[in-house]
Amino acid sequence: MVDVAMVGAGQTKFGNHPLGLKGMWSEAIEQAISSVDHGIQTTDVDEAFIGSIAFGGSQLGNTAALLTEHSGMEGVSVRRVENACASSGFALRDAWMAIKSGQADVVIAGGIEKMNDLSTSRKRYWLGVSGDTEWERLAGLTFPGTYALTARRYFHEFDSTHDDLVHVSVKNHMHGFENEVAHLRKQVSFEKAQSGFMVADPLTLYDCCPTSDGASAVVLVADHLAHKFTDTPVWVKGSGAGSDHLALHDRPSITQLRATQAAAKRAYATAGISANDVDLAEVHDCFTIAEVLATEDLGFASRGEGGRFAREGEGRRNEGHVTINASGGLKSKGHPLGATGTGQAVEIFKQLRNQAEPARQVRDAELGLTHNVGGSGATCAVHIFGRER
Amino acid sequence: MDIQRISNQDGHFACSKYGQQWAGPDGDRLTLALALLKQLSAETIALNSFADQLEYTPSVRIDEIIQVSTGWIIDEDASLQLHAHRKGFVVAITESKEEPRWPDFETTEIPDETQNELNERWHAEVSGVSQGAYVSQAQHVLASSSRLGLMAQVNQEKLLWPPRQLNSNGQRIDSPTVQLSETATILTWTRLSAAGAPSEFSGRAPVLDGVGTVLVAFDEGPKGVFMLADDENGVPEIDGTVRFEIRRLYGQDGVIHYGLKAILTKS
Repeated sequence: MVDVAMVGAGQTKFGNHPLGLKGMWSEAIEQAISSVDHGIQTTDVDEAFIGSIAFGGSQLGNTAALLTEHSGMEGVSVRRVENACASSGFALRDAWMAIKSGQADVVIAGGIEKMNDLSTSRKRYWLGVSGDTEWERLAGLTFPGTYALTARRYFHEFDSTHDDLVHVSVKNHMHGFENEVAHLRKQVSFEKAQSGFMVADPLTLYDCCPTSDGASAVVLVADHLAHKFTDTPVWVKGSGAGSDHLALHDRPSITQLRATQAAAKRAYATAGISANDVDLAEVHDCFTIAEVLATEDLGFASRGEGGRFAREGEGRRNEGHVTINASGGLKSKGHPLGATGTGQAVEIFKQLRNQAEPARQVRDAELGLTHNVGGSGATCAVHIFGRER
Repeated sequence: MDIQRISNQDGHFACSKYGQQWAGPDGDRLTLALALLKQLSAETIALNSFADQLEYTPSVRIDEIIQVSTGWIIDEDASLQLHAHRKGFVVAITESKEEPRWPDFETTEIPDETQNELNERWHAEVSGVSQGAYVSQAQHVLASSSRLGLMAQVNQEKLLWPPRQLNSNGQRIDSPTVQLSETATILTWTRLSAAGAPSEFSGRAPVLDGVGTVLVAFDEGPKGVFMLADDENGVPEIDGTVRFEIRRLYGQDGVIHYGLKAILTKS
């Protein structure tokens, strides 16, 4: 079976970006192309998978064709991949499978979202399109609500309080502070994060990620081409995906994400590793409780221990066994929905090649993981990356 | 809903706990009628001109809402007649087609601005065109017995609610036939501020100081999410219980969508 190497990766700064879709995408592609050590042409690309929700209805149809047209890839086989906030995690998986299957040698996986130039009412509408419209949204829930329901139940079932979530928020802001592409580059004190205004009880503002503009892209190639493009490829060693009921109330447990568990199991199996081997993980902390659950569902903490894991700072950069969200995560780096999954891969690419800003470089990392969740856990893609093939 | 009820020689009359000037934040003449009908033994009843007194058109036919949620059968030849006051929020069940003599009810002072604001928000909602968080009319009708009457499907000896199409063997699951219990246990809850509320509720959320939502488990197994109603003076608790009543859920594209909301019964 063909192995897959990541030879280039780039992204825009996440946040309030001055450019629109075409501009942001071309910037991400420019960054990704220029990061390929020995050079690459967009004409080398066989396939492109672009994750996006098309937030706001902006170029809802044929998004990918428009974007590739504006980034020198006319004629390439393209498509938009949509799985809510996990869109580009699945674009990455599709790209990986395209190479694995032998149907393509050079593939772009990316994602994009423009979220911050909409009216308040349009933005509010689009923030809720990925839940169960009939039985959740129109029963009064958006994602702050679903994750708030999960958080309260988690506190009830386990030895955990909201303070554990505050630790997640403080850590991720600390990590993102040094990240040049992060949306919210500011440190937050425990006291401040503890006292944010209530968005969905018990979740406050500091438990919620921002809505960001951004685009990200990675260049994947088949193993026989890897060293044509770079001497230091990052190998995509494993990929796994899972899904679950769309509505939270239909799931057997509301304090576990079965989609994550299934995706992680498959990803670890394809990579031939276990959770204990992972040095750094970019996990989907759209809300702080989501990081607590992710540390359990990915196997970094045992069931019910995610709160303690956060409280004791086990995910802090270079302190614990595994660094969680060295980029600042969605909480600080930002969350341009469709761009988040491949944005996580960009971070792993930098970290495993020792190209992160020195102040936030994770030391001696050999294996990295990305975890990208759609909605409140209906879809999930997990990838494992390594320095060694 | 908590109603004031008067039964006399003319018939049964009901208005909200606020009196006849207001049916509450998510109430109207139809929800008052449903509450009154639920308190009486189900029979047949004629709608008379009841529908003409509703402010907005329901998304599902009135006779179906009444039948599914109360068991009363609509029959225009029935001896009992359903009435609604033309101006006040009062409903009646009498044996005459003539407009009844409306009794006086106690009135609770409600700040005018609260009523007016909510009325305006409802009007804006109903007048608005869906931006896309839309459930088709066909789906509304298909699921009405589940949404309004808590009817569950049976699949491989397990109850399913809300309804599904196919099971894991690829076989079509039969229509709902089993009624879930009318109370449920709170597994978790939240209160969404205006910022956290779905766009459909963002107009009313600030007036109501947020939108309360519970995730509950029915004794029979299924779980569901419901907005809270009448929770001004109560805070939900995990393992507390709720019962359900039909209220307005949201307005869209010229119609009001009705569904069950949870009422705290024990903390």
